Amino acid sequence: MNVFTLYLILLKATITTFSGLASLPLVRDELVLHRHVLTDEQLNTAVVVSRTTPGPVGLYIVSVGYYAAGVPGAAAGWFAMTTPALAILLLLRFIGPRREHPRVRRVLESIVAASAGMLFAASIPLARESLNDSITVVIAVITATLLITKKADSVVLIGGAALVTLVAARLA
Amino acid sequence: MKLFVGHDTRGADIARLAARFTISLMTPQSAPITRPSLAALAAVFGRYGNLTFGGGGATVGVLQQELQQRRNWITREQFHLCFGLSRLTPGTNMLAFCTGIGWMTRGWRGAAVALLSASLPATVIAIAATALFDLRSQAPLMKAAFHGALAAAIGIIFNTCWQFTESVLTRANRVRIVVILLASVAMQTFFPLSPARILLLAALAGAFWPDEGTK
Repeated sequence: MNVFTLYLILLKATITTFSGLASLPLVRDELVLHRHVLTDEQLNTAVVVSRTTPGPVGLYIVSVGYYAAGVPGAAAGWFAMTTPALAILLLLRFIGPRREHPRVRRVLESIVAASAGMLFAASIPLARESLNDSITVVIAVITATLLITKKADSVVLIGGAALVTLVAARLA
Repeated sequence: MKLFVGHDTRGADIARLAARFTISLMTPQSAPITRPSLAALAAVFGRYGNLTFGGGGATVGVLQQELQQRRNWITREQFHLCFGLSRLTPGTNMLAFCTGIGWMTRGWRGAAVALLSASLPATVIAIAATALFDLRSQAPLMKAAFHGALAAAIGIIFNTCWQFTESVLTRANRVRIVVILLASVAMQTFFPLSPARILLLAALAGAFWPDEGTK
């Protein structure tokens, strides 16, 4: 895949969303469903990589770029991840004083709510792909519950989940 | 006596000027209390921006402690302004936060140094980890372990949905937030609308929704 096109696709995903995984539905729509340069499993693996390595969750874009076009694709992912960060310089200069304006606040809240809804909808096919037996369903439910209620460490949860299915496969 | 009064007045004026100068130094727009070198900026963002597990939220928490409380590079007000605006910046909020702090402390060069040092090392680690996962993913033991790790990733994504919703939901705006959330799920699932268009519709709905107050 052309690296510049990949950069533009990933930039479109990062610049129109406001948090790490919020860009996932756009990435899936373009690269999995329309261009077929990425599979659902690879997208899911990219999420796992970003949660098991240090740094922001938005790093999953780098793994996505790597899967789509190798190391140059990963570089495109890095550029797409870092480019929107420069927008804070404009915000600091011009919009900072207006951030408590009711309309600005409502627009931002609505974008965050829509991002949550879209992320939930995008996770359904990913769940169909990954939750294919009772053990994996239980793992997903326990992971979500522990993260929400106990603020558990996601690295520990991923490691524990991997250990559970590893032991189950050895015993089977 | 008049002479003394004159002296006292000048002294008071000087004291007022000194006080104004001190206050101006303490305002968010002023220079930080301690001006870091670019190397020091790179070292702090390189270390704490890349070596903290738990995502951007955890990293920003560690950076607040290092930049404001331990090193005195920024004031509390500067931290709050930069953190608030980083939440309004598209993309990865943590990187926007680091860029903003770099700009506040050392201008454009500081912004560039902070952005590069907060993102490049973690990117190299992510590429190496992805390549390793890719190489080993077909080995039977690795496949079995991956089965569980991918299931946990689904749980993580569900948790992210919840965190997004919880972060904006208040008693006053709950109707708007729930309507927009459910409409987004429906539009993404049942209608051929691109995610960018759904976000645009959500933004328009937010802009024209009647004000609910801030309860």
